[in-house]
Amino acid sequence: MNMIKRLYCLIPISFFMANSAFAETAPAGARQIPGWWYVCPVASVVALLMAFFFYRFIMKSSSGTDRMQEIAGYVREGAYAYLRRQYKVVGLVFVVLVAVLSFMAFGLGVQHRLVPFAFLTGGLFSGLAGFIGMKTATAASVRTAHGASESLNKGLTIAFRAGSVMGLTVVGLALLDISLWFLYLYKYHHIVTGGHEMNLETITVVMLCFGMGASTQALFARVGGGIYTKAADVGADLVGKVEAGIPEDDPRNPATIADNVGDNVGDVAGMGADLYESYAGSVLATAALGVAMASVHGFGVQKAFIYLAAPMLLAAMGILFSIIGIFVVKTRDDANMKQLLSALNRGIYLSSVLIIAGAFALVRVMGLPTGVFTAITIGVVLGIVIGKGTEWATAAEYKPTRYVADQSLTGPATVIIGGIAEGMMSTWIPILAVCIGTLCSFAVMDGFNDILAGLYGVGIAAVGMLSTLGLTLATDAYGPIADNAGGNAEMSGLPKEVRQRTDALDSLGNTTAAIGKGFAIGSAALTALALLASYIEEVRVGIHREAAIEYAAPAAEESYTVVNVGAADNGKYAICLPGAAAGSRQSQQFYTLSAFEGTGERAVRVSGPDGQPLSLIVNEVGEMVKDRGAADLDGRLLCAQKAGLMDYMNFYNVTLMNPKVLVGEFIGVLLVFVFSALTMKAVGRAAFAMVTEVRRQFKESPGIMAGTERPDYARCVAISTAGAQREMIVPSLLAITIPVLVGLFLNVSGVVGLLVGGLCAGFAMAVYMANAGGAWDNAKKFIEAGNHGGKGSLAHKAAVVGDTVGDPFKDTCGPSLNILIKLMSMVSIVFAGLIVKYAPAIGAWLGIGN
Amino acid sequence: MDIHLYLVCYQSEALVASHLDAAAFGAHLAVGTQKHTSGNVMFVEIDPSFKSDALKLNKLSSRCIPHADGSPRRSKYISIYRALEHIPLSAFGKLYMTTRDGRVLGLDSKPYDPESEEPGTNLYTELCPVFPRVASSLPPFRFCRFITNPDNPLHVPRIIFSDNLLDREDDGSLAGYLPYPNREHIVDCIRALTSSEGKPTKTIERNPQLIAFYRTVGRGFFAGDQTDMIFYPFPSRAELEGEHHLWWRSASMD
Repeated sequence: MNMIKRLYCLIPISFFMANSAFAETAPAGARQIPGWWYVCPVASVVALLMAFFFYRFIMKSSSGTDRMQEIAGYVREGAYAYLRRQYKVVGLVFVVLVAVLSFMAFGLGVQHRLVPFAFLTGGLFSGLAGFIGMKTATAASVRTAHGASESLNKGLTIAFRAGSVMGLTVVGLALLDISLWFLYLYKYHHIVTGGHEMNLETITVVMLCFGMGASTQALFARVGGGIYTKAADVGADLVGKVEAGIPEDDPRNPATIADNVGDNVGDVAGMGADLYESYAGSVLATAALGVAMASVHGFGVQKAFIYLAAPMLLAAMGILFSIIGIFVVKTRDDANMKQLLSALNRGIYLSSVLIIAGAFALVRVMGLPTGVFTAITIGVVLGIVIGKGTEWATAAEYKPTRYVADQSLTGPATVIIGGIAEGMMSTWIPILAVCIGTLCSFAVMDGFNDILAGLYGVGIAAVGMLSTLGLTLATDAYGPIADNAGGNAEMSGLPKEVRQRTDALDSLGNTTAAIGKGFAIGSAALTALALLASYIEEVRVGIHREAAIEYAAPAAEESYTVVNVGAADNGKYAICLPGAAAGSRQSQQFYTLSAFEGTGERAVRVSGPDGQPLSLIVNEVGEMVKDRGAADLDGRLLCAQKAGLMDYMNFYNVTLMNPKVLVGEFIGVLLVFVFSALTMKAVGRAAFAMVTEVRRQFKESPGIMAGTERPDYARCVAISTAGAQREMIVPSLLAITIPVLVGLFLNVSGVVGLLVGGLCAGFAMAVYMANAGGAWDNAKKFIEAGNHGGKGSLAHKAAVVGDTVGDPFKDTCGPSLNILIKLMSMVSIVFAGLIVKYAPAIGAWLGIGN
Repeated sequence: MDIHLYLVCYQSEALVASHLDAAAFGAHLAVGTQKHTSGNVMFVEIDPSFKSDALKLNKLSSRCIPHADGSPRRSKYISIYRALEHIPLSAFGKLYMTTRDGRVLGLDSKPYDPESEEPGTNLYTELCPVFPRVASSLPPFRFCRFITNPDNPLHVPRIIFSDNLLDREDDGSLAGYLPYPNREHIVDCIRALTSSEGKPTKTIERNPQLIAFYRTVGRGFFAGDQTDMIFYPFPSRAELEGEHHLWWRSASMD
């Protein structure tokens, strides 16, 4: 309690202290930020304060009887033991990665020197969000169970507010991280380092890199948590239920505590870290695209700032509307399942309507095109459509799950076939929704005439979809809390009416959890497209950096001299790009890749002997400028027009006719399958260890079954923990290393192929796995509700097989693929500088071009 | 140590002496000293003062002795065949139902009024000494008389059987929550039974696999012969969920 209180207090206080201290003693040269931008950090602090308020509310609630507290204590200890070990492993990985990134930044000079720090803060905040969410969840489940003994509404309120702590902490920390970084980079970095002000493009691409920290943390949390929870679940089920005939949540089952712990580490901490990354990634990628668009179109710094800030402001508004939505979630004490679901939906719909209205106001006030508002609306609607589509594919009330349940009448084989078929078929809703959403949000910006504007539309649609994440994540995190509350009520032997209430809350949680998974996958797909475009932006910065290094500015008093840029040999630096489409660049045949600002305060225009403007080389922060007027380069560097996204695509020959692109796509698809296989096999191995342990305990301690001897819960928790940590390493490292290797060998075109292949296959596979697993799970529950013979019938036994197969589908592989998609993009973005520098040489050496 | 006598009567027949009380004995039968799953078990507690030459109960105290280390004898099998026919109903005590994971619920007997029986089709599962599942137009008391009637070429001297649920949907099919395999066959048997006048019973299955058995129990269990019948009423679902929750959860598993 004290620890989390300190954490919550420190974050906003430190932010305000830091900012006010700077403000009061603002050094000369600090750039001014418009006052309205401060809505962003304020909203993030409000989110954290509200989360703290809800946390206090939960902690003030009674934690019930001694027995309830004892069981909750086991779960809490297990969850902390897991997190301690996970953070150790992740800490080691982070140390290695920070060392690599530092070497790249300080040794090789292939990326900005702030990237290792951005990477660290992303990982730290993502991990912190997961930790706070899980700490709250473990404390809340027992209080939810006790609250349910008073009334259904009390139980719902505690569980949902605990979920809200998770939701608001994720969005609060993400926006705070973004705000603090932006504040520092925009306002103070040049003062601290004594250099020039950073331009907006550089700021956004540096900030993007903290996404990799968040992604890495999220991947470990999701993969590790997923393996943990399913190893415990499958182990508990196979021995406890199937072999020993022990019901769910029976304290005699040695793996039952590990199972409950798994709900927290997988579905709370893992989900939180996952969506933290999606949320931050979508805001940052959209900001980067906005700045790139404004810059290419020459909108000027002020307008570029607005495009940069729009996704942040939208996120800030989303936080405030989510809080309003949270407060309207309440129900009657005699509510049925439908009314409970309506209570949650009321909050989601209200906040969605509010965010659409808020987006309209934002667009009007900021002078943004109407297309931005339309794209945001598309994103909000898309989120709801994907959620509803997932509900349709997995809820027992609808045809797909009923079909899987029907298949159980003919045995486990047909259940498996039916589940796989329905899972595959179910992909049409989210995929077509994302396709339509992408096309529409692209088109509304400039009708396909302006690719950067279109991509900004897609990005802002993703931000719109995730803007009310504070609330939607609350409904997701609510699920495992209610599940644990049910387990606690069962193990504590609470009265019938309490168990009925916790069962009702648990059933609702199952539905919301499935919807949450669909939402997470859909948002990942939409975000990934924006990240793909951001990758090219990062490549541009990498090329600038290379050019700047080649043309290191001499001492001020010396005259500039031109050296060989290397453009003539293998195109490594690509100082100029030929082949701009006629008309698109005012018929100029050549243009530089520089971040030259034509009329801004740092603009430098140098004329040659003939009076014509000469090309300039400007580094990624616009601070080192070189005259390129030497005769040997005349005729090639004619103007300082900037290259756009399509120019880079042309330069790297990113077309389907380039085998590097195609090979990259194949590798992306392969990575999805290999990653899924590795995580599934990991669950199998970890579950096997759990099964062996549970059998051993039953064999060696007969008193366990008689209820006279307490099982060794800690041993099962330790086995699941160790299994998860051991097994998560290989798939996680694969996800990090493959994009780098592909980049080094196949260059940018290969990476784009990899990302596209990974995105398409990963998205479809994630939806398929999550929905198939959800359908199997709910088909089993449908039978348990008294259909096809009910519990214990042959149909039920067949459905149990389906559910066991579906467990790693929906809770390990599917959710992990979300992060794989995003992490591949993030790794590519962070390592873009390395690829730009070394891939051409490697390509030349291998004889496969540059 | 007290010696208890238990008649095991769930698709098996055995008279067992034990130092364990009913709850511990049931758990022992289901779970064993080391976990070897054996499924559900049912047994009747027999009056310890009951004596029988046929079952050689006179020297019970010398046959059921504690182990050398002083621990209680968990099970001493007295007879594994034709035990039921030698135990009069007057010696029957409580009926215990044990789940796979060793939870035990005892049922008290209650007077049964044959006059209150109503016509209709019934589903009975014979548990001891034979095990078929049959559909019958006879209510429990008349069924018991019928199956133990020595004039009937196929009869047993004494029987323990259960009444099982036969709830139907509007379309005549069995209710969805009933876990019987070969559901259409049961409906066919009932149809055959009702269409053939004079035929009081129809065998559905000779050795049925009792899937989720406790969930299918209707009015309860009956033990009877030509002279008498004992009725062990099965608790209502509400009572099971409210007062015997742990047992019912285990019982609903399988």
